[in-house]
Amino acid sequence: MKNTIKVERAKKNWTQADLAKNIGISRQGLNSIETGKFIPSTLLALRMAKVFNTTVEVLFQLDDEEELSND
Amino acid sequence: MFTYLCIDKTMRDMEQSKKTANLQSVVFALIYGATYLPATLLLKHRTFSLPVSVIIAMVPIITFAIFIFKLIKAFSVMDEVQQRVQLEAVVIGFSLTAMLIMFLFLLSLCNISNPAWFGYAHLVGYCWLFYFIGWFVSRKKYGA
Repeated sequence: MKNTIKVERAKKNWTQADLAKNIGISRQGLNSIETGKFIPSTLLALRMAKVFNTTVEVLFQLDDEEELSND
Repeated sequence: MFTYLCIDKTMRDMEQSKKTANLQSVVFALIYGATYLPATLLLKHRTFSLPVSVIIAMVPIITFAIFIFKLIKAFSVMDEVQQRVQLEAVVIGFSLTAMLIMFLFLLSLCNISNPAWFGYAHLVGYCWLFYFIGWFVSRKKYGA
């Protein structure tokens, strides 16, 4: 799973601590998500999308090998 | 604007309940430690009647049960990454403890277990040690 959290954070000029506080998780937890070590729940992904005024699809994308083939 | 104020208030409330739950679990861990060690020393070095011994032995068990209850409450207000770390720590700790007990049981079948190293008191210590090993491994895995 790829994500654009870092890019969206940079647009808002937020630190990891700022975003973590806004979505109610620890900074370390956010770091795990941002670096792709942990995949967040739907609730957390939606909260993140809301604070960035964007959609979950913009924040998170499937890797090529994770995409279901149409065969 | 109203939505954001509500979210902010909810976040502050969550933060406060997290702090309270964490503090309570730490306090009850200390109370458990403060009852377990004196109970161990008392039962080891003094002789009491059977009912009094049972009561003394029950005190740290009750404080431990309360501590676990508070710890579970603290887990429920953790964020999902911390919950995953705790879950994996408990799974690793439980698995290692189960492996040790099975190994000791099998060794005892051929009379080569050593109670001086693997008595009940040691097993409690190993259980905590394995949990902390699990916690360390899981924290490293998630970078949390």
